[in-house]
Amino acid sequence: MDWENVRAFAGKELRDARHNRWFWLYTAVFASLALALSWMGMAGVGAYRVAGFGRTAATLVNLVVLIVPLMGLTLGAMSVAGERDRGALLYLLAQPVTPLEVLAGKFLGLGAALAGSLAVGFGLSGLVVAWRAGVVQLGSYVALVALAWGLAAVSLALGLLVSVLSRRASTAVGVALFLWLLLVFLGDLGVMGTAIVLRLRVGHLLLLALLNPLQVFKVAAILAVRGSLEVLGPAGLYAVRAYGARLMPLLVLVLAAWTVFPLSSVYLVVHRRGMT
Amino acid sequence: MSTLWTRFRRALAFLLLGLWWASAGALSADAQGPVLVVSPEGPYTSVQEALGEASPGSTVEVRGGVYAGPLVVEKPVRLVGVGWPVIEGNGEGTVVKIVAPGVYFGGFVVRNSGDSLDEENSGIAVEAPRVVVEGNRLEETLFGIYLREASDAVVRGNVIEGKALEVPRRGDAIRVWYSSGSVIEGNVVRRGRDVILWYSERLTVRGNVVEGGRYGLHFMYCDDALIEGNQLVDNSVGAFLMYSRRLHLRRNFIAYNRGPSGFGVGLKDMDDALVEENLLVDNRVGIFADNSPREIDSVMTYRRNLIAYNDVGVQLQPSVRRNRYEANSFVENQEQVHIAGGGRLRENVWEGNFWSDYAGYDANGDGVGDVSYRPQRLFEDLMGRYPPLQLFRYSPVAQALDFAAEAVPLVRPQPKLEDRAPRMAPVLPEGVPAPESRPQWAFGVGMAVLAVGGVVLMGWFSLGWPGDRRRGRRGDLPRPRFLSRQPEALAANGEEENMEPMVTVRGLTKRFGRFVAVRDVSFDVGRGEAVALWGANGAGKTTILRCLLGLYPFEGDVVVGGYHAKWQGREVRRLVGFVPQELSFHDDLSVEETLAFYARLRKTSPELSPDWAESLGLEELVGKAVGELSGGMKQRLALAVALLGDPPLLFLDEPTANLDVRSRREFFDLLCRLRDAGKTILFSSHRFDEVAVLADRVLVVEAGQVVSAGTLGDLAATIEGGVVVRLLVEPGQVEEAVRVLQRAGLEAERNGTGVWVCVPSHRKVEPILVLAGAGLSVYDFVLEPFSTVDHGGE
Repeated sequence: MDWENVRAFAGKELRDARHNRWFWLYTAVFASLALALSWMGMAGVGAYRVAGFGRTAATLVNLVVLIVPLMGLTLGAMSVAGERDRGALLYLLAQPVTPLEVLAGKFLGLGAALAGSLAVGFGLSGLVVAWRAGVVQLGSYVALVALAWGLAAVSLALGLLVSVLSRRASTAVGVALFLWLLLVFLGDLGVMGTAIVLRLRVGHLLLLALLNPLQVFKVAAILAVRGSLEVLGPAGLYAVRAYGARLMPLLVLVLAAWTVFPLSSVYLVVHRRGMT
Repeated sequence: MSTLWTRFRRALAFLLLGLWWASAGALSADAQGPVLVVSPEGPYTSVQEALGEASPGSTVEVRGGVYAGPLVVEKPVRLVGVGWPVIEGNGEGTVVKIVAPGVYFGGFVVRNSGDSLDEENSGIAVEAPRVVVEGNRLEETLFGIYLREASDAVVRGNVIEGKALEVPRRGDAIRVWYSSGSVIEGNVVRRGRDVILWYSERLTVRGNVVEGGRYGLHFMYCDDALIEGNQLVDNSVGAFLMYSRRLHLRRNFIAYNRGPSGFGVGLKDMDDALVEENLLVDNRVGIFADNSPREIDSVMTYRRNLIAYNDVGVQLQPSVRRNRYEANSFVENQEQVHIAGGGRLRENVWEGNFWSDYAGYDANGDGVGDVSYRPQRLFEDLMGRYPPLQLFRYSPVAQALDFAAEAVPLVRPQPKLEDRAPRMAPVLPEGVPAPESRPQWAFGVGMAVLAVGGVVLMGWFSLGWPGDRRRGRRGDLPRPRFLSRQPEALAANGEEENMEPMVTVRGLTKRFGRFVAVRDVSFDVGRGEAVALWGANGAGKTTILRCLLGLYPFEGDVVVGGYHAKWQGREVRRLVGFVPQELSFHDDLSVEETLAFYARLRKTSPELSPDWAESLGLEELVGKAVGELSGGMKQRLALAVALLGDPPLLFLDEPTANLDVRSRREFFDLLCRLRDAGKTILFSSHRFDEVAVLADRVLVVEAGQVVSAGTLGDLAATIEGGVVVRLLVEPGQVEEAVRVLQRAGLEAERNGTGVWVCVPSHRKVEPILVLAGAGLSVYDFVLEPFSTVDHGGE
């Protein structure tokens, strides 16, 4: 793989993202919501002299789970399929480059764009927290940001897989939106229903829930910010007891697997079918 | 009269003052007794030595210096440190042990106890009543101050910092054990395990700061205690209160307690406690109550507390009864009240509390909501019934469920409690010693760096980064193997006489699923040759070109410039300049940026040779955005991109499909010059005129196969068989033209806005004459060989 080409494609992708209305919309929505939520979370400083970061952290985790997959999935889904629709992909691939370089460039470029977008949102939100004197460790906050980046990478990888599998950009975006709905709502709802009906054991419930990368992110984020999972009830306690100090590395590993697996599938699909 | 009264009062006041002064002086002289001074210079150099000499009631004044421990105080004396004398324990046993009643011990640094949990190694151990331990600093001690059967002690104003061990291996910063009537006041505890108060009555715990430990305060069997004005911050649990009666917890600041358990205040088997005017902020659970009260006639009262920003405001076991919650403020807790195990709370009173999620109104303006507060969240209800579902806290699905329950009353659960008189505004406790909120500048700077970093990241990699153009210079880059215009380079490679074809295709087959787009195609293209793939739309020309570029997987062999397209696609594409049918540049890039980008991919300079730049009219394009270019200009730009790095081969796929007549002619003039300059050209077209102008040789493609191949002369013979005349007529006259032609016995049909007519090649002009005879105008016509016309369309 020629990294100079990867870098060129990543740069192009980043530039395209900057010209993409959706990207700016997502950035604006995320940043303004993060800002508003931390503002409201820290409003207690004015009203009651004290306010905790705990509440703000919870709403930020919630916001990330809702918005970041939407960003990653749709932007990823639009990338390959959109260029294929316009014929631009063919023209790029007719240059002395390989599909792998194009894909790696897309992933890294879009990933960088998303990371930048999230950093802006988290940075602004953190400024509010700092100004309003929230009690928060820099380390936990940075861990939260890093995990959000991880989730962005997961959803981007899934979006790219949807993109290379779809014939048209519109189909790709539709499938991506369905996948988002599945990950954010339907999957968890299904697991909850199953758990209630079958009275699942707590360990089984945990494993079932952690099949969803969004839950993996959430559990890891709470662990990073809170230092314990007691807030997640018996399943959280079970997780800490069963895995102990290995829990965080395991969760990060699962997120990494959720990135690597779709990307490998993308590579296999492109290798078998070609990219155009 | 009034003056007299005033004088009398003044005289009385002076008399009382005089009496107080005299008695205070006498008392203090009695308390101090004789003074023995210990200092490194003498008269006493050891504390233990001075203690041996001291009589009960005397004062031992110890001046700054380091004195070896352990120290045992067996007489009721005053030990006063001046200038922070250090009692050094050298890491062994307990440092100071007080076994005589009424001892005063203050102003010392007590350092470095042993670290045996079994032996309970302490900084200061007190085993006698009425001892005062005041204003000491304890450093690196396992247990801090240990009152063991030491009633009526005063532990005041000490700073205790434990050993830097893991929490379970630390000792208790303060332990009060069977020591009733003691006062623990104004101490600061950091890095301890717990502050433990067991089996002691009438304790006062006031104004202490406990942070970074396990239990901020842990009470067991301590009746009638007053816990007031403490700051319990950043521990696992703020205060855990067990098996005690009439405990009064007021005006404490209890925040950020989030470790295991994570309760602000936990109450178990407590009776008649009064919890009032505390700030309970950002704990995992603000107040946790289990089996409290336990006695049938006792009541627990919680009033005017601020319970804010906790994950759970109040968590109760379903069995909890006789709890009164009055005038508390529940602000923005993730879950205001949680019933462990679900269900409804009974026999508890909720009255006049403020609830931040109250959605009622106050029509009469009396500050009390006119409808009850009744929390009815579906997800909370499910969590209560089936606790493992707490795993889904902070997930959007939880809000979705609550929203659904709001919208559909059928699935709305029973309210877990009811407050009939909810307050419209919070009640804020006064006089609680909360720490000052100061902006966290360091964290703020970190966040500013993060935000700016985000912006930079979005801009950094980007195409417009100045460094981009520096890369892609030619110097150290591999050069293509074949360079058409540089015979000397070829000669150097010894390939001048190599007359192998530039392109060799053998048995090329391409399937898309079951559809065979290209079937067993074989041909060669010689160096410097211009070869046309001629055929109708959909015949497979484009697919052949893409296979040659290595863009599709395929069956068969394709060798271009000595490289196999199947697994050396990149090398093949480095030799080929490609112009596609549909151009797709980025409209917002300028022409120079576009050339720079593709030059970077081709590892070459974005500059064309002046000759070609002039021929392509690049000067005219410079400075324009691609979006502003006409179709012809874009096609010239595409050719310029294809010529970057001067590749020996050009592949063009229907390059003039979207051009007008003039642009098409100009473009083909350019291509002819390229051919004459020695480029090998393979192009696809369905237009005979283009093929006739440019191609040395023609491959006729039909239904994915090369049906014939040869020179133009050979092709002309093929065309002798029959020809298709495509006619362009008035849009409104297409149907009529078809009818007229068919009446004249010609094979005609409509094709979009034009008409196709199949005629023998010697009667090509006949359709035009027939239409002219019928008074219908013909604007344009194109002739094509019959075999290349795709009757099914593409």
